[in-house]
Amino acid sequence: MFDPNATVLLAAILVPLFAGVVLAFGSGYTGGMRRGVALGGFGYPLVAAFFLAFRFDPAQVGAYNFESKLATGLDSFGIYLHLGLNGISLPLFLLAGVVGFAAGLYAMFSNAERPHLYLALMLFMQSGLMGTFASVDIFFFYFFHEFALIPTFIMIAVWGGTGRRTAAMEMTIYLTLGAMLSLLGLVSLYVTSGAESFSLPELRDYLATHPLSETLQANIFGLLLFGFGILVSLFPFHSWAPKGYASAPTGTAMLHAGVLKKFGLYGLLQIGVPLLPVGMAHWFPWLAWLALGNIIIIGLVTIAQRDLKLMLGYSSVMHMGYAFLGIAAFSVVGAGGALLMMVAHGLSVALLFMLSTCIYHRSLTFDLGAMGGLAVKAPVLCAFFVAASMASIGLPGFGNFWGEFTIFMALAETEFTRWLVLPAALGIIISAIYGLRAVANIFFGKPKAEFAARWDSDEVKDLQGFEKTPAMILLAALVVIGIFPRLVSDRADAELGGLYPIKESLPQFETTAGTPAVSGKEQTH
Amino acid sequence: MTPVTALTLTLLIPLASAAGIAFFLRRRGGLASTLSVAAAALLCICSFIAINARGDAAIVASWDWLSFGEFKVSMGFLLDDVAATMLAMVSFVGLLIHVFSLGYMKSDKAQARFFGGLSIFMFSMIGIILADNLIMIFVFWELVGFSSYMLIGHYLETEEAKAASKKAFIVNRVGDLGFLIGIVLAYWHFGTTDLTKMEQLTLGHPELVNAGIAAFLICGFIGKSAQFPLHVWLPDAMAGPTPVSALIHAATMVAAGIYFLIRISFLLPVEVLGFVAWLGTAVAVYAGFCAYAQNDIKRILAYSTLSQLGYMAAAFGLGYPGIALFHLITHAFFKALLFLGAGSVIHGCHHEQDIFKMGGLLKRMPITAITFAIGVLALCGVYGLAGFYSKDAILIAGGLEKTVIFILLTLGAFLTAGYMGRLFWVAFLGAPKSDAASHAKESPLTMVIPLLILAGLSVVGGMIQLWPEGLGALIRFDLERLHHAEGYSAMHHDVLIYGSAAWVVGLLGAFFFYGVGAKDDRLARIAPSVFAFLKARLWFDEIYGFYVSQVQDRFAAILSFLDVFLLRGLIIRGSAGLVGILGLGVRTLHVGNLHAYVYWFLGGLLLFWAFVGTVL
Amino acid sequence: MTIGLNAFLIVAGLLFAIGMLGVTLRRNTLVIFMSLELMLNAVNLALVTFSRYNGTMDGNLFVFFIITVAAAEVALGLAIIVALFKRRETIMVEQLNALNR
Repeated sequence: MFDPNATVLLAAILVPLFAGVVLAFGSGYTGGMRRGVALGGFGYPLVAAFFLAFRFDPAQVGAYNFESKLATGLDSFGIYLHLGLNGISLPLFLLAGVVGFAAGLYAMFSNAERPHLYLALMLFMQSGLMGTFASVDIFFFYFFHEFALIPTFIMIAVWGGTGRRTAAMEMTIYLTLGAMLSLLGLVSLYVTSGAESFSLPELRDYLATHPLSETLQANIFGLLLFGFGILVSLFPFHSWAPKGYASAPTGTAMLHAGVLKKFGLYGLLQIGVPLLPVGMAHWFPWLAWLALGNIIIIGLVTIAQRDLKLMLGYSSVMHMGYAFLGIAAFSVVGAGGALLMMVAHGLSVALLFMLSTCIYHRSLTFDLGAMGGLAVKAPVLCAFFVAASMASIGLPGFGNFWGEFTIFMALAETEFTRWLVLPAALGIIISAIYGLRAVANIFFGKPKAEFAARWDSDEVKDLQGFEKTPAMILLAALVVIGIFPRLVSDRADAELGGLYPIKESLPQFETTAGTPAVSGKEQTH
Repeated sequence: MTPVTALTLTLLIPLASAAGIAFFLRRRGGLASTLSVAAAALLCICSFIAINARGDAAIVASWDWLSFGEFKVSMGFLLDDVAATMLAMVSFVGLLIHVFSLGYMKSDKAQARFFGGLSIFMFSMIGIILADNLIMIFVFWELVGFSSYMLIGHYLETEEAKAASKKAFIVNRVGDLGFLIGIVLAYWHFGTTDLTKMEQLTLGHPELVNAGIAAFLICGFIGKSAQFPLHVWLPDAMAGPTPVSALIHAATMVAAGIYFLIRISFLLPVEVLGFVAWLGTAVAVYAGFCAYAQNDIKRILAYSTLSQLGYMAAAFGLGYPGIALFHLITHAFFKALLFLGAGSVIHGCHHEQDIFKMGGLLKRMPITAITFAIGVLALCGVYGLAGFYSKDAILIAGGLEKTVIFILLTLGAFLTAGYMGRLFWVAFLGAPKSDAASHAKESPLTMVIPLLILAGLSVVGGMIQLWPEGLGALIRFDLERLHHAEGYSAMHHDVLIYGSAAWVVGLLGAFFFYGVGAKDDRLARIAPSVFAFLKARLWFDEIYGFYVSQVQDRFAAILSFLDVFLLRGLIIRGSAGLVGILGLGVRTLHVGNLHAYVYWFLGGLLLFWAFVGTVL
Repeated sequence: MTIGLNAFLIVAGLLFAIGMLGVTLRRNTLVIFMSLELMLNAVNLALVTFSRYNGTMDGNLFVFFIITVAAAEVALGLAIIVALFKRRETIMVEQLNALNR
């Protein structure tokens, strides 16, 4: 069974890789040639993602579209380069294409030193990102993530801002730890399942008939939860994120915060929870409380930030709490909300990181207290930043709203998780406070003294074309999802319906983790 | 054109206008304003077509929007009688205010942004009106909040606008938090948030009405309609341009809270209704007092708006949603008139807003002054004008249901007449008290014509028998119900006496107390402590300010410190340091001397022996 | 008269002790090296003795290996010491402490 579209899918991984290799040896290229190669490398995945999205057959629920399976020489372990897309991975695949293209476009015109190497590393990252979400094989799912992660470290350490060395070091160690834990979890899943295969559908089918014992599930899910949790900055394992993003070069921050970070959530959503439902039930209280920590504690920490990039870094940590809560709700609604949240957050956070650099080029500072009044000089930048902040605050009309709203809905669905709605929803006020404070401090009012001194310099001008185009792409994607969420939700809904059983079929969910449900203040009957 | 198409157009025309301005007309203020006004006119026509086509039945349409498992969202229209009445008012008053803005904003350098904002606002507001389910209401509810934010912050280089826009958005968000939780709970409680379906469910099973959900839902109303304790944003919102204050913060958006209550009235149990009645009454009286200590013409009107919103809430809480809607509509007419009149005055006086620096405007701006006077009289409830009919009905309802509320609301009416008298006598009569006022000229036609039309509506708008057949059925029904209530005629008699006494005494009292064209506030002169107390407005702002700066921000700073110091510093860096120290310690073993290594080797050997030989 | 096992072992032990003291106490690398060889040969003696008394060839086999390895070691070791002397102009251990830094 040969599907020609499968080649398109495989090429979405190989083309950026190839373009990256070409650029890595392209020190003698002119700017035009460099940009041409990079444009090809970033553009092809975008085109392929949209092409495949149109070709996607929603009837194949439970199976994968565009499947291909290549031997790797590790057949004895059941490892194949097995690619394909389903309703859950397709939105993320599209996200990787869109954010990758926007980040690549912005990076092409940035004034980095040794731009060919910078772009080459970004292209390697892009290749890994496309591969992660296109992998059906758990081994390659992990492999591609690592493949994208390594350039991240290098780029932060070489092209980063102040404090890049320590940030890169801390991030490397932290993320490697997280990756190790999740690898341990995945390998033990392979070993204990007895399915003799790393292929996700095979594992799923096998585990459906031979479920693991309760202790095993709990232990493996614990490894996956904390491993993936570290990668997604679950409270209190988040401290790598704000500092790391603050010192990362813009393109890296966009790709990492926007797409790569979603790997952990995707792993929980697609692998962890459906394969180990009992383990999920066991760890539910942990996940719920830690996610609340993300929302409320980190939310308040975000309010206290005075540095724009740190603030954005913390706010991105905070919003991950919603996605975790969606997963914790353990239902189609919750998982769907988490998926919407992941896609929308990826777009909005990439946009915000990009715009923060644009602001820096004008103000030469990230200190929120030292700017002001920029809207007069740069109305378009102001409009984009306000739109992006509003998106991340969860204003309807942008994708994030549907994500948050669906997650709240999911939490209220059963008595068991209903108590979480109120504390989780507090986040919408917290995010409004810091989001609007930032907008007001940067754009409104009168410029502060140091900034006013540079007021008439040529650098303080409105958004340029090369900044406007990527911003426009990201914002358009956010608005499209905000207005027509079905574009993402319909396929995912069908797929999730098969993966997430109705909660009542799992008595453990009620019994093993019943302690936090005592708060019955919002009981309806 | 089918009615549904007409409604869709009504909703989408302003959105298209906003998008067009954002993409193509950012630098062409003139064209942008023309486009926006044209859109307002077009949507007005479309809405009237739809209302005409409605007949007796409601227009219903619904589209699936999002679905995950059991959770399904739809977007749709429900144009019943209440929605049609509201839609007619919003689109018509909206059009007038758009026209007025043409003149008022002519010389503004960010005209395009302003008119784009107005268009977004119209889009969002019409969305709330037409929405057929709670989720859709919430979507547009948040969007009006955003457009309000954008328009309050229009003069973005001023510190005032910067603070006020932020405050308005965040305070509204607090209310929306409750609203959101209410929706989420209602969805799983009823299995739907569709208004029609929920109404049928509650009709069939009255026990489904739930006080907890209702309490959460009305949080939305409290935020948007600026009731206790979230009223603080409305006076500050006057930092926006005056047409915005007229459109958003007087006639339409703040009234959306009341409209929302009317839409969900079947969900509210008696206890919650009682709470709303008391809340509204309290705000009506409180805001009436606060207005006495304000000198800014717009802020006086803002407190008056608060107070009138209180009246509406009281009418609703007393069980007469139709009368609340009636007052909402008439209030929209005369309050829009008053705000636009204030805008005309401010425009004429070169952005002077202090009433004690005006004076003598009757001669210099006669049309503005006369229409303003009509607005004042309508607001005070003078017999025969719009405000009379609705306020009268509210007072009668109060008298029939709860005497205390009746007394308080009558006191509120007296206060209203007093501060409006103060405003009118001081600002419009006497001699000019500043250069700006003495050089004031009548405003251009684009501003005067809306004033005249609104003045006409303020006169006749209360005569429900003159209204078109298709509008106001609920109002007629509730008025009819009131007329046939027990003790109506006696109470009607009383209210005529007390109500009229209230405005006569209020207006005359202000005339004699403050004096025509007074230069300063007599109350502040003879009783400074009373004035200061009124000016403090029960210290709400101070308490919130204290909370934000002393509690919330400090708590956040402490958490941030802990995050950096404890988590990142002590635990993360600490563990890294521990490994480092271990490394340092181990490194000292490497002395570089061959003999030392031999001793280490021998020591290790001995240890190994001991271990193998189980000595250890 | 036959010389007993103990006598051989005592000689081997003495040789080994001398070698070890040499390794631990002497500071000249060349002498340390020779002491190492002494220790090896002490072990060789012991192995041969055991082999003789047990009547098996195991010990002898080991000795052949040790002699071969020791020969190779001497060749390499001496070469290293000569190279070291050329480079550092000393072969005293306390001055050869580059690992300290």
